[in-house]
Amino acid sequence: MTKYIIRRLLYMIPVLLGVSLIIFILFKLVSGDPTAVLLGKNATAKQMADLREQLGLNKSLWLQYLDVVKSAFTFDFGYSWSTKQEISKMILQGAYPSLCLSVPAFVISTVLSLLISLVVAYYRGKGIDLFIRVFCIAGMSISALAYILFFQWFFAFKLGWFEISGFEAEFPFVISYIALPAIIWIVLSIGPDVRFFRTVILDEIYQDYVRTARAKGLPEVTILLRHVLRNALIPIITYVVIQIPSLILGALLLENFFSIPGLGGMTLNALNSSDFPVMKAMAILSSVGYIIFGLLSDILYTLADPRIKFN
Amino acid sequence: MKSNSLWKDAFYRLSKDKLALCALFIVVIYFLVAVMSGAGWIASSWSQEVGASNLAPSLDHLFGTDIFGRSVFQKLIRGTQVAMSVGVAAAVIAIPIGVILGALAGYFGGWVDDFVTWLYTTFSSVPNIMLLISITLILGKGIFSVYVALGATSWVNLCRLIRGEVMKHKEREYVQAAGAIGGGHFRKLFRHILPNVGHIIIINTSMQFQVAIKSEVILSYLGLGVQGEPSWGTMIDDAKLELVRGVWWQLAGATIAMFLILLAFNILGDALRDALDPKLKGK
Amino acid sequence: MKAAVLLIGLLCLIISCSKDRNFDERELHLISPEKIAGFDPIQASDMYSGNEIGKVYEGLFEFHPLKRPYELMPNLADALPSVSADGLTYTIKLKQGVLFHDSPAFKEGKGRELKADDVIYSIKRLADPKLQAKGWWLLDDKIIGLNEWREKNVAAPATTYDEEIEGLKKIDALTVAFKLKKPYPQFLYALAMPYAFIVPKEAVEHFGKEFLNHPVGTGPFILPVFQQSNRIVYTKNPTFREKLYPSEGEEGDDKRGLLADAGKKIPLVDKIIVDIIVESQPKWLSFQKARADLLEIPKDNFDSAVLGGKELAPELKSKGIRLFANAQLDVTFFAFNHDDPLFKNKKLRQAMSMAWDRGEANKLFYNSAAVEAQSVIPPGLGGYRKEFRNPFIKYDLDMAKKLLAEAGYPNGKGLPAITIQTRNETVSRQIIEHFAKNLEKIGITIKVGMNTWPELVNKVTKRQHQMYTMAWGADYPDAENFLGLLYCPNASPGSNGSNYCNQDFDTLFKTATLLQDGPERSAFYEKLNETVAVDSPWIFGFHRTKFYLSQAWLKNFKFMEFNHSQFQYLNVDLEVKKELSKKF
Repeated sequence: MTKYIIRRLLYMIPVLLGVSLIIFILFKLVSGDPTAVLLGKNATAKQMADLREQLGLNKSLWLQYLDVVKSAFTFDFGYSWSTKQEISKMILQGAYPSLCLSVPAFVISTVLSLLISLVVAYYRGKGIDLFIRVFCIAGMSISALAYILFFQWFFAFKLGWFEISGFEAEFPFVISYIALPAIIWIVLSIGPDVRFFRTVILDEIYQDYVRTARAKGLPEVTILLRHVLRNALIPIITYVVIQIPSLILGALLLENFFSIPGLGGMTLNALNSSDFPVMKAMAILSSVGYIIFGLLSDILYTLADPRIKFN
Repeated sequence: MKSNSLWKDAFYRLSKDKLALCALFIVVIYFLVAVMSGAGWIASSWSQEVGASNLAPSLDHLFGTDIFGRSVFQKLIRGTQVAMSVGVAAAVIAIPIGVILGALAGYFGGWVDDFVTWLYTTFSSVPNIMLLISITLILGKGIFSVYVALGATSWVNLCRLIRGEVMKHKEREYVQAAGAIGGGHFRKLFRHILPNVGHIIIINTSMQFQVAIKSEVILSYLGLGVQGEPSWGTMIDDAKLELVRGVWWQLAGATIAMFLILLAFNILGDALRDALDPKLKGK
Repeated sequence: MKAAVLLIGLLCLIISCSKDRNFDERELHLISPEKIAGFDPIQASDMYSGNEIGKVYEGLFEFHPLKRPYELMPNLADALPSVSADGLTYTIKLKQGVLFHDSPAFKEGKGRELKADDVIYSIKRLADPKLQAKGWWLLDDKIIGLNEWREKNVAAPATTYDEEIEGLKKIDALTVAFKLKKPYPQFLYALAMPYAFIVPKEAVEHFGKEFLNHPVGTGPFILPVFQQSNRIVYTKNPTFREKLYPSEGEEGDDKRGLLADAGKKIPLVDKIIVDIIVESQPKWLSFQKARADLLEIPKDNFDSAVLGGKELAPELKSKGIRLFANAQLDVTFFAFNHDDPLFKNKKLRQAMSMAWDRGEANKLFYNSAAVEAQSVIPPGLGGYRKEFRNPFIKYDLDMAKKLLAEAGYPNGKGLPAITIQTRNETVSRQIIEHFAKNLEKIGITIKVGMNTWPELVNKVTKRQHQMYTMAWGADYPDAENFLGLLYCPNASPGSNGSNYCNQDFDTLFKTATLLQDGPERSAFYEKLNETVAVDSPWIFGFHRTKFYLSQAWLKNFKFMEFNHSQFQYLNVDLEVKKELSKKF
């Protein structure tokens, strides 16, 4: 097991190299020449040339790629081009609001979805199954933008239940800012979650061991919770754990519309201002998160299903 | 021969599911609308003014008019074409890549698996939205880049799922048995395993279809969507500014249009899954 | 059932988590529509950064908050400068006893007095090649010895600030003399811009790269640490000097209640809370919930706020909300890239200009409140003549068709599709869609190119565009700032993004810019403005109007184009606020 973990950790190296390559190629092509933007509307050609030199844009492509690789391994992201802020600091400051929104929303939506899908699986084929499924699917068939516009106007403004936008770190005030975007998040993610969970649960329900258990006269609920859920947990855990790194990036639209100063908004800002170092940092961070949680999900996989062995 | 009857069976079961038939009907209608609009038979005059600016819905203008006095209904139809083509293109790009890579990796393991895992880990490690945006920026804006960007981002998930599922099935008795009676690798893989993971492709595609349609909205919000043509995305984007002044019909129209097709696709996907899943047979 | 009770309970809990409103302190609630990068004056290139920096930092001069047309008055300077007869030497005396904010950067944490050295240091900092200030263009090639000093330090490992520069001399502890290379009538305006605000050397050195998060100025408000969040909270500067609310203004300011606080010590509020809200819906809803005292009306909320373009909607009126409509010093335009041989054809340019129904565009995008631009200079600046009419901005399809035919493209035949680059914003897109729809009528095909801001700037500076559209806002109240957009030496990567070149214009422009403000210069400007208009170097758009809504309890608000120093003059009437808040 330890060996496996070490091997997987070492595996981060080629992945990070690959990620650096993708990031480098994409953003090199996208960002083009940032100097005009960085210097404002009245820049002179001389000034732009100086800045290009300073930013290292005159170096060979190979050296520029090495710079990306270097920051992928050292986590030294340098300074933002557009805000001139230290990027690691920007990320630290943005992580808290993002996580304040994404973690509770994610936990609640996952638990809720699991509960719903168990109920749905129990009543499979009956009216209530159909109703809940259609309801969940309906929920996710509406654009996030439409939810945001309507919920903000109706719940926050008309009814005054929540703050319209903004963020305050202090508990419990943070709740009144986070609640509405979190609800939208939950509404949007319950649909896909329930569908997936229901699928894997139903997959298990028709396995032979379930038939055996049923033949033994175990009550359906016990079978569902003890046997089916245990086995269905493998794909469910993979599915859930894999999503965790995406929480780092937060929810772009939600953060923008609810003025939550998180990483999603920061990334969007960076994209809109060709801020290559910030985009690079965010891409590297989420890829490291992805690798770590991928590893975690694989370990959980073995714990839940001893049939899969590591070599 | 065996799989033939499976599909026949599936269609038989599908034809009994009224909800699924409704969904299928809606999907077919949308495709027809998209094709007819693409051929220029309907809504070709969407850019013409039909009335004053921002008229509320009425019998003359089913969904009202937009800021330039164009018919929102015609724009919706035109948008259907964009949405359906985006979904189809993304699926067409993603399915072959995802299925083939995923199946090979899951089945053969070893360096093939290492390479494929490396590839999709690398790809999925870069945040989706960044990939989407940078690809559209590189290829220049327009519907083609939206296709490529969505295709390039949506194969990853499918690939991972297929790989995992194939790995699981590889160990199962029936595959072992097929091996024992002398089935070659490709026979085992394509004849025995893939039909058993087919529902994953279907579920994933129906998911991906709606992700594609929704991503188009996000790209439009970022100003990177389809240019010079109405799409549901640009209509919703317009609405973000219009809603507070009481112009709700663009949002409502685009949302309803989107809602119906996504709902239909999801229901159909579920129904297909139920119908196609070999393990459910006879239940 | 249980679940329902639980849910309702949870909801009540959430609702009870909102903070109560504060009616005891004079708090000013403002909204900024854009993220603030940091608090370094030399990088404050956009209006919104300038607004924030202007709360903590100050310049030598500032614009009078009430007088119009805009008038400079001394701020950190003791008086307006004495200028030598040749207009090249400006001697500026500083106010005595101005203190910097308390900060750990200073000895014992106490803010020290402002000295002439600080002015020299701050100006040199703006020129420091290592810092790549966005405001360098202001002083580029203006002050004797400054460019040479900059050049010398490009290659040096670190910039040396000790060296004395001829054009930047300390006369005594509180007096500085600037020596210019050539007349620069806009020089004082430059000193009033946020770029030239005064920073203390100690703070820059103490905080290093973190300086932009630790503003240490002399201004009316303090902000110990700036964090990248969506809320900035300033408190009153306890060591702020004796600065008084002006006792005179424009005619009628008295009646408008703008002089009620005359002679009082500023700042008038204890706290300023700025919320950064990017999207227009939450902005608008927040204001209506009295979460903000002042709001620049997002264009799209105009209809719901203002009925028929004139009167405030009754539900807003009943809450005491007031509307301010003010002409902006700006111009919008579609610029041709004059490098493109296609647009050497003047008749084509004019045909395109005349095919655009500006009246309709005004109605659709500016609520009919914008002024159609006859040329570059907006009303309110010397050089703008109300009577002047540019014949080629009239909407006349027949004429446009005729011109197009004369240009060699009858009914658009033979003319390739033209792409216009713009920003990826909804309204920008719609404006081009409208333009395209209009030009279709004479047979010209227009395509939209959407860009992020950096992309657009890149395309323009690298001349990789056919046409682009933008708006230009005044940096200072002088038409030179606008006419310069068509001056050949400013061609890309300079501010003349259309690369328009016209020798007669250039010669005249050069002469005019050396003149001091006065009727002679205005006459020059008028001539420049009107001759260039007829040549249709751009398709002129509009001079826009800005609309503000203010809550009843906000006092002393008067629209200012250059408003970074305005907030210290604002006041909040707590009684009114308490009373009216019940209505929200």
